Amino acid sequence: MPQRASLKWRLLALALSVTTLVWVGAAAFTYLEAIEEFDEILDAHLAQSASLLTSQAAHEIDEIETEHTPVFHKYSPSVAFQVWENGKMLRLHSVNAPGSRMTEVENGFSYATFGGQHWRVFSTWADDGVYLVQVAERTKAREKIANEIIVEVMLLPLLFALPLLALFLWLAVLRGLRPLGKLAREVGQRKPDNLAPLDALSAPREVLPLIERLNRLFARIETSMEKERRFTADAAHELRTPVAAIKAQAQVARAASGNEERAHALDNAILGCDRAAHLIDQLLTLARVDALDNRTAETCQPRAIAAEAIAAMAPGALEKGVQIELLESDEVAVRGNPELLRILLRNLIDNAVRHTPSGTIVRVNVVSEQDAACLSVSDNGPGIPEEERSKVMERFYRPLGTQAGGSGLGLSIVKRIAEVHEATLRMRAASEGKGLCVTVCFKSLPQ
Amino acid sequence: MRVLVVEDDALLGDAIQAGLKQSGYAVDWMKDGVSAEQALTTEPYAAVVLDLGLPRLSGLEVLRRLRKRSDSTPVLILTAMDAVESRIKGLDAGGDDYLVKPFDMGELAARLRALLRRASGNPEPLLQAAGVELDPAAHRVLCRGEPVELSAKEFAVLHILMLNAGKVLSRAKLEEQLYAWGDEVESNAVEVYIHHLRRKLFPELIETIRGVGYLMPRDKAT
Repeated sequence: MPQRASLKWRLLALALSVTTLVWVGAAAFTYLEAIEEFDEILDAHLAQSASLLTSQAAHEIDEIETEHTPVFHKYSPSVAFQVWENGKMLRLHSVNAPGSRMTEVENGFSYATFGGQHWRVFSTWADDGVYLVQVAERTKAREKIANEIIVEVMLLPLLFALPLLALFLWLAVLRGLRPLGKLAREVGQRKPDNLAPLDALSAPREVLPLIERLNRLFARIETSMEKERRFTADAAHELRTPVAAIKAQAQVARAASGNEERAHALDNAILGCDRAAHLIDQLLTLARVDALDNRTAETCQPRAIAAEAIAAMAPGALEKGVQIELLESDEVAVRGNPELLRILLRNLIDNAVRHTPSGTIVRVNVVSEQDAACLSVSDNGPGIPEEERSKVMERFYRPLGTQAGGSGLGLSIVKRIAEVHEATLRMRAASEGKGLCVTVCFKSLPQ
Repeated sequence: MRVLVVEDDALLGDAIQAGLKQSGYAVDWMKDGVSAEQALTTEPYAAVVLDLGLPRLSGLEVLRRLRKRSDSTPVLILTAMDAVESRIKGLDAGGDDYLVKPFDMGELAARLRALLRRASGNPEPLLQAAGVELDPAAHRVLCRGEPVELSAKEFAVLHILMLNAGKVLSRAKLEEQLYAWGDEVESNAVEVYIHHLRRKLFPELIETIRGVGYLMPRDKAT
């Protein structure tokens, strides 16, 4: 299993790295500032020491024994000085000072190298212009002090503060993310049938979009479950009548006193079984079509599919005295699922055959219209009044006086398949206000 | 006994009609609410078997209108919905009983008999008058303890007369109850049935009120 990203760790890591970055930045800035300030202070000290020496040099230079001056401070070896008489004769110097001039610069600050070390040197002439005083300090000593300050004042505390900071940040993050945990628990403890919206009032602003979307999802699931429930109830209800008919016909057959009466009832019972089976088939088709989309689309030839469907249905229709004709159809190509298109055509043709009177013709046509390919099936039946046309596509709706024994699902299936293919579905009178012509228009593919 | 069956499903309606005919009823079958309404206003039915989901006019509306006319014909509701609310609605609209599809033809016939019994004001399942005992469920007639063989129509005539014992029934009234629409009615059929009944049972059982009709005395000493 891949390591799941944790919001808490992420927040903590981000906060800590940002803190560390800012801290280190501040330390660097402080370091540079400190070194500059420090140089100024030490330079001032150097100048001060030089001026002390100059005032001293004039009077007491002969009495000073420097060869054996004790080392007063650990920094002492880092400090050196020379007093030159007339700039040429070395009259006084510290132990670590060289015998030659530290620097040729005779006034002000300069850098010099002697005894294998780098030095910062301050040179000045004593008041009377006789003595040249040079005071030096090892640059390394200066850096060492600055470094110590930066490490002790800035970096060491960070070392102790960071874990502490991490701990507090962790607690803060935990606390800050509590609403998320609460939401997770609320969703987690839900019963599957609880689709009530989540409480959005107490939620923090950041979580609100999530809650709103969840609530919208809940609402959608609720609607689709409601649809499903209604469909199941409708389906069960629709199956009750054919089952009741089969049972009643069978009981009539059992109680029948004459052969003719018995045969009639048995025939009807078988008819009832066929009808129930057809209804179940249609229910299954609808359930299958409902779950489908057009993802498996391929290039289909509606004319070929129409010819195939007609060939399959013509024998049954002929038994009823109905002919099915494929008109001079255009060769067009559409994108779609050929199986679904076959189901669509079969349902349209089946409807037409059911409703058209015996001795008439059901006409199937495939026409290319601009950028659309239109499939139409027309019959000579009673047609559907204008105001009923939208209703007949609802599941289990049968228009008044329908004796054709359909499942009430055919047009629902056609409508659903048209939706899947983003096709338009039109109904109109076939000719002069008589019959029904159903047209389904698909986006056609360029030939 | 003439009953009206209102059912829009062709196969089920056909089966109910055939089944009730087997039980000796004269059955009219209507396939939508409007024709049912028309039939109910013009014909005298002993009982109605009413489906609720009807085209043109819902079964509930047919029932409400029937009761509004103060017509107390017993109504048995057929429903495909087993939801309690729909049964309550049906009963509250004036239904006397209900059956949920799919149902048993025997139960339908039994419930119809119960409704007819209650409507006649006689709680006794066996009808008795003048030493004749009629069992509507078993289709059996005993005369002075002896079983008598009757044809379906003869049984129906006797049944109607016994349910209306003490009342004079005109020939037309008897015919209305005996025949459904479309049945062939011979002009003297009722006289023939009465004649057969008198012969098979005993002559004094049914009295002819000349110019008016027939009467089965409420309690005739044997």
